[in-house]
Amino acid sequence: MFRIRLHGRGGQGIKTASRILGTAFFWEGYEVQDAPRYGAERRGAPIFAYVRASKEVINERGIINRPDLGIVADESLLLLPVADVLGGVTEHSVLLIVTDEAPGVWKKRLNLKGRVFSLSSKVIVEEHAGFPLVGAACVGAAARLVGVISRKALEKAIREQLRPLGESIIGRNLAKARTAYDQMEASAGCVTEREEPSADSYETPHWIDLPFEEAGLSAPYIHAAATSLKVETGAWRSLRPVIDRRRCHRCGLCDIYCPDGVISLDARGYPHIDYQHCKGCLICLIQCPTHAIKAIPEPGLRAKRHQGRGR
Amino acid sequence: MLGTGTPTCAGCGALENIKIFCDILGEKTVFVNAAGCMTLLTVYPFTPFRGSWLYTAMASAPAGAQGVRDALDLLIRDGRLAPEEYLAVVVLTGDGTAYGMGLSATSAAIYRKLDFIYICYDNEGYGNTGYQFSAATPYAARTATSKGPRGYRGYKKDLFAIWAAHRPAYVATVIGTEPADLARKIEKAKGLRGPRLFIALSPCPTGWQFEPAKTVEIGKLAVKTGIWPLKEYLDGKVVHTRIPPPRGRRPPVEEYLKRQGRFTHLFSPTRNEEILKDIQASVDAYWEGVI
Repeated sequence: MFRIRLHGRGGQGIKTASRILGTAFFWEGYEVQDAPRYGAERRGAPIFAYVRASKEVINERGIINRPDLGIVADESLLLLPVADVLGGVTEHSVLLIVTDEAPGVWKKRLNLKGRVFSLSSKVIVEEHAGFPLVGAACVGAAARLVGVISRKALEKAIREQLRPLGESIIGRNLAKARTAYDQMEASAGCVTEREEPSADSYETPHWIDLPFEEAGLSAPYIHAAATSLKVETGAWRSLRPVIDRRRCHRCGLCDIYCPDGVISLDARGYPHIDYQHCKGCLICLIQCPTHAIKAIPEPGLRAKRHQGRGR
Repeated sequence: MLGTGTPTCAGCGALENIKIFCDILGEKTVFVNAAGCMTLLTVYPFTPFRGSWLYTAMASAPAGAQGVRDALDLLIRDGRLAPEEYLAVVVLTGDGTAYGMGLSATSAAIYRKLDFIYICYDNEGYGNTGYQFSAATPYAARTATSKGPRGYRGYKKDLFAIWAAHRPAYVATVIGTEPADLARKIEKAKGLRGPRLFIALSPCPTGWQFEPAKTVEIGKLAVKTGIWPLKEYLDGKVVHTRIPPPRGRRPPVEEYLKRQGRFTHLFSPTRNEEILKDIQASVDAYWEGVI
């Protein structure tokens, strides 16, 4: 059985990508499961989707813990613990990463034993195609890496899943998928099926024993205010708003219009952004009357910080 | 007042409304929240609220509010809660609930003169489940369940008129992108008792399909073009709190429509003059009736 796990951010079309990949397997005669993991996550938040494909009946259910192929549509997720991209990744697992760095850099940085492939992040540039093209490129590359999906089945699956978006969007996605499919030609079939190890070999969960409580206590009550502060939604951000104090007139509009309330004004009236929680919507940037706020790409920032730690 | 770190989408227009409500109502509140996008604010063990919060089914938030109000009143009457610990009961629902399956319970609660505040964050569709149409979806908008070339064939229900016809203490339409108007109306409602109801238009980047950074721009255009009238009902009278310039001098409604993916089928591949004219005519007719 093939077990493929897709990682991306909300809005990158990861759920659709998993459906296309599953459909392509289906047209090659496989039994297929494809499903996204549903949660309270939103645009920009880490998203997971899973594809299982087998010539036999699939009895396995639930999330995929040990992927044969991991697809990472956004390299910033690799440095984000909650995304758990490397969970269950062994020397057998192949990783496909959308990044502008060479696969070897990630292999070394993350101490990976298995094979790593990269797709240039330039695929993201034409994002407003109704379905982000990064998803199509990932599917094209993945279809070639598993080695059992023909170009015909891949194209049929893309047409089928993107039909409501119209011909021009389908065309652009087909082109991206074909390019990525061809790019992986030399490595066709390097992702191989693996039997799931028997349940005896499973690591026991790290349970914490909790004594029974009376119903009034054990019901899901929250006995504290504003515990949401513990959730670092700043990890959703792909662009970081930065305030230039020299241009700031201290009007406070950024604070008023920020839906998440992450901007506060200091005693002198200058705004400060709470980057732990800012989701990067950039309403502040558009509303700032003096254009004192600019946006800088977030993955670049993270890579720089990472290099800094390495030295 | 509302905590950060909530799971709403970046650029959420509903959160923009609720942030201001929480700032003004303070922490002495009990939110009674019907299922919808905003129930995701509170996912155990995380909550952005500083006061209390209770979850109900979609159709029954005002009934839940009645129970909470009665219990609090009894506690105060019996001396188990000091009168200065009075908590305001606030119903929070989306438009699917307010315009549709919760309307009956709301009607009954207003009829019983329940002392509560109702906030409907109206993003004009079932946003939490993939943006299917609701009774609040505007004419011709594309949703997951109205994908045809002409979009949604129904018309947005006039919930303001329906609620006002019950003669409650207060009804208002608001939008978070006009914070001064919104704040003034919340302050006014805070000083009253009885049913006080708000319909808060909530531009939704995910469902309406625009970049999250444009939420405020689109909200302001909704008011400027006249498609979202800001008004209030008090003492049997309806007063408009913002009147756009007369026809010809206000921006055409297509300035608002063309910035949203849910209306792109009206502009490309060919302009649908008939539907665009219909929408403009209905906005013009509304304001002719007002002025």
